[in-house]
Amino acid sequence: MRKSLFYLLVLVSLVLGACTPATATQAPTQAPANTQVPAATTAHEAVTLRIYLLDYTADTIAWLNSEINPAFEAAHPGVTVEITEGSWSGWDTTFSGFFAAGDGPDIINLGSEMNTLYGESLADMDPYLGEAAWPDVANFGPAIENAKYDGKLRGLPIFTAPRYVFCRTDLAQGTLPPQNFGDWVTFAQENTVIDAATNSLTQQALVPVDAGSMADWQWWLLVFYSLGGELYKADGAPNFDSPEALAATEFLLDMRQATYGSALDAVGSLPTGQGSVIDVNDETGANNGAICLAHSGWAAPAFDRPVWDNVSIEPFYGDPANFPNSRPVVLAFNDWLAVPEYSPNKELAAEWLKTAFSRDANNKWNETMGLIPARNDAQFGYVVESEQLKREAELASQYGVGFAGIEESAILSTIMQDALGKLITEELTPADVVATIQSQYAEALD
Amino acid sequence: MPTNPYLSVLLVAAAAVLLIVLFSLGLARTARFAARLAGATRNQQANTYGGYLFAAPWILGFVIFVLGPMAFSLYWSFTDYRVTAAEAPALVGLDNYTRLILRDSGFRASIVNTLFLTAVGLPIQLGAALGLAVLLNQQTRGERLFRMAFYLPVILGFNTAVLLCWRLMLNTGTGIINQLIRALSAAFPPFGWLNRAGIFVVELVNALFLGLGSGKFNLLTAVWEAGLPAANRVPLWVQSPLWSKMSVVMLMAWGCGAMMLIFLAGLKSIPRELHEAAEVDGAGPWRRFWSVAFPLLTPYVFYNLVVGLVASLQIFEPIFVLYRDNEPLVSSAISMVYYLWQASFSHFEIGYGSAISWLIFLIILGVTAIQFRMQKHWVNYDLY
Repeated sequence: MRKSLFYLLVLVSLVLGACTPATATQAPTQAPANTQVPAATTAHEAVTLRIYLLDYTADTIAWLNSEINPAFEAAHPGVTVEITEGSWSGWDTTFSGFFAAGDGPDIINLGSEMNTLYGESLADMDPYLGEAAWPDVANFGPAIENAKYDGKLRGLPIFTAPRYVFCRTDLAQGTLPPQNFGDWVTFAQENTVIDAATNSLTQQALVPVDAGSMADWQWWLLVFYSLGGELYKADGAPNFDSPEALAATEFLLDMRQATYGSALDAVGSLPTGQGSVIDVNDETGANNGAICLAHSGWAAPAFDRPVWDNVSIEPFYGDPANFPNSRPVVLAFNDWLAVPEYSPNKELAAEWLKTAFSRDANNKWNETMGLIPARNDAQFGYVVESEQLKREAELASQYGVGFAGIEESAILSTIMQDALGKLITEELTPADVVATIQSQYAEALD
Repeated sequence: MPTNPYLSVLLVAAAAVLLIVLFSLGLARTARFAARLAGATRNQQANTYGGYLFAAPWILGFVIFVLGPMAFSLYWSFTDYRVTAAEAPALVGLDNYTRLILRDSGFRASIVNTLFLTAVGLPIQLGAALGLAVLLNQQTRGERLFRMAFYLPVILGFNTAVLLCWRLMLNTGTGIINQLIRALSAAFPPFGWLNRAGIFVVELVNALFLGLGSGKFNLLTAVWEAGLPAANRVPLWVQSPLWSKMSVVMLMAWGCGAMMLIFLAGLKSIPRELHEAAEVDGAGPWRRFWSVAFPLLTPYVFYNLVVGLVASLQIFEPIFVLYRDNEPLVSSAISMVYYLWQASFSHFEIGYGSAISWLIFLIILGVTAIQFRMQKHWVNYDLY
C-alpha cells in the first residue's frame, strides 16, 4: 500500500511537473492582454475576438493594433481583439484545421476564388452586413461579389488588386503595348536576350505570374478571359474544349518558346533579384531584366521609385485579330475577410468589420499597402494623388474581370498546373492539355 | 461554463491531469489483478503495478493521439468527407480505394516520383553518409568541427532561411552550384564533358520517369534525339521538370548527417585488431574497407536502409519547401505524401486523403517486411 502511494505521488508530481513549464511560459505573453481590457470589463462578459490575417505589411498590422482595435475595444467593453498573422504559404493546412475542429478565429482572411471553396462553412452575414442592417455596404464595388456564396454575404472585401501589364517604355523595342497574340510573340522574340556564355536569360520580354514556366494557371485564365472565354457552358459543364481555351494554351506555349526557345534548349531563367523585375538595381544601376510585367501592383515597383517615369500601365488586350469577342482585361483579385460558421461571435465580428471597413478605415488600410480600396467611396486621397493608382483604378473599373466563382478552384488549380507543366516540357500538345483539363475537371465537378 | 478563457484552460489542464491519473491507476490495478490471476508472486504483482503505472501516461497518449486518429482515418477512408462541406461523412464503401488504384493518374505519377526518389535519392544519401563517416573516422584534425558541420543540416531542417539559401544556390543563372560547374568546366575541359554527360543521363532518366508517370514518352524521345547537350549547359535545378526531382535528391543528400553518425558509430565499433591483421596480410586501405569494415557494417547499412527507405517513401518536406510556391513544377516532383497532403489539406477531401494514407501505410509495411526477409542473405551479425 505504501509502495502504491509512493508510485502515485511520483506519478502525480511527474504529470504536474510536465505541465508546469507550459503554464510558466504562457504567463508573460498572456498578462499584457489582460491589462488591455478596460476596468469596466468586470461588469461585462469577457470575449476575445480572434482575427487571422495573411501576409499583411507591418504598417497595416501596426495601424490595426494602434487605431482600429483600441477604438473597437473602447466601444465594446470587455472585448479584446487578437490578431494572428499567418502566411499564404501553408494557409490551407491551417484553415482546414480550423474547420475540422470547428474552432478557430472569428474572422479569417480569404482570397478571391475561395468563396466557393469555403462557402458552405462560412456564416451568412446578411443579417449583420446586408443593406438593411448596414447601408454602407452599397458603397462596395464589384469586389463584394467575391465575398458572397449562394447569394449571401459571408464577409467583406478589403482591396482590389487587378493584374495589369506594366511595361518599360524606355527599354522596349517595337510598339507598346502589343495588341494581339501575334504582336506579343514578335515582341517576345525581339525583346528577349539570352546570354550565350551562361545559356540564361538576361532580359525577358514579358514576365507573367511565374516567370520561369510562364504557364501559371492564373495567367492562363487572364488570357482566356481576354478572348471572351467563359469558364462554364450554359449547362454548367467546363468550357476547356472551346476554341478560346485552345488559343489561350497555344499562346502560352508560343510565348514560352519565343522567350526560352524549345524545352530542350534548357535556357536558364532570369536571376532572382531584389525588387520588382521591371525596376532598376540601385547599387549596380542595371535593369532587373524584364521589359513587361503581367502582374498586380504587388510585383510592381514601389510608387516612389524613379522608374515609374518610364512605365506604362495597360490591360491585356486579347487577340481581336482572330477572336472578335476579345476585350481588354485586368483580372481583379481581392482579399476579403470572412466569418466562419463555427464562430460564436458573429455579431461581434460583423461589428469589427464595420469598424475596419468604414469609408476612412478602408482607405487607410489600403494606403498602408498601396492598393485600391474595395469601397468605391474610399478611393480618395492617395488613390487620386498617385498617378499610377489613379490609372490602375480607372482600368480596374473599365476592364476588371473578377477572379471568383470558380467551382472546385483548388482542384482546378492542381489539374491545370499539372497539365500546363507538361505543356512547357512539350510532353503534351496544347490540344492534349485542354482535353486533359476538360475531362479531369468535368470528373471533379461530378 | 466559465467565460474567462484562462480559467477554461486551467480547468481543461486539471481535467487532463485527473484523467491521466485515473487512467494510470486503473490500468495499473487491472494489470496487477491480471498478474495475480496468472499466479504471480506478490513481488511480481508489485512490479507489474509499478511498470504499468509509469507506462500508463504514454499508453494513454498513444491511444488518444495515435490509435484514435488511426481509427478515425480508417473509417473516413470509406467515406466521402470534405472538411469544408459542413456535412457529415457519407459512407461510400471502397470507392476511394478503387478510384485511387484504378483511375487516379495523379496518384500513379506520385508513386513513380517517389520510386525515383527512393531508387536514386536513397543510394546517393547512403553513399554520401558512408563516405563522410569514413572520412571522419580517419582521426584528422578538426574532426569534431567537421562532424558538427555535417550533422548541422539535420538540426537546421527545412526552415525558411534554409529554403531561401537553397533557392539562391540552385538558381540556374546566378546560383553558386551552377557557377562552380561553369568555372570547373572552363578550367578543366574533361569536367565539362563529364558535366554534359551527367546532364544527358539525368535528363534521360528523368524523362523516362516523367513518361512512366504520364504514360507519354515523347519527352524521352526528344531528349534522346537531342543527344549530348551544348557546352554551355548547366543543370536547371528548380526550373525544369527534368531537374525538379534531382534538386530534392540533393536536399536528401545534404540531410544525411543522421545516417553518417550511425555509420561512424559502426566504424568505431570495429576492432582495430581486424584491420591490423588484414594489413599484415598485405591488404591495402581499399581492400581493408571492402573486405573487413564493410561486411561488419552491414547491420548499420541495414538499419539506415530501413529507416531511409521509410523516410524516402514518406518524403514531403523538401518538395514542399522547394516547390510549394512554384506550382508548375509540383507535378513533376510530387511524392505520395505530398499528394496525400494536397488531397487532404488543399482540396479538403479528407475521406480520399485517408484512403491515400492507408495505401501508403500498406506499401511501406510491405517494403519493410520484404527488407527484413531479405536481410538474412546479406547482413552480417558475426561481430555482434
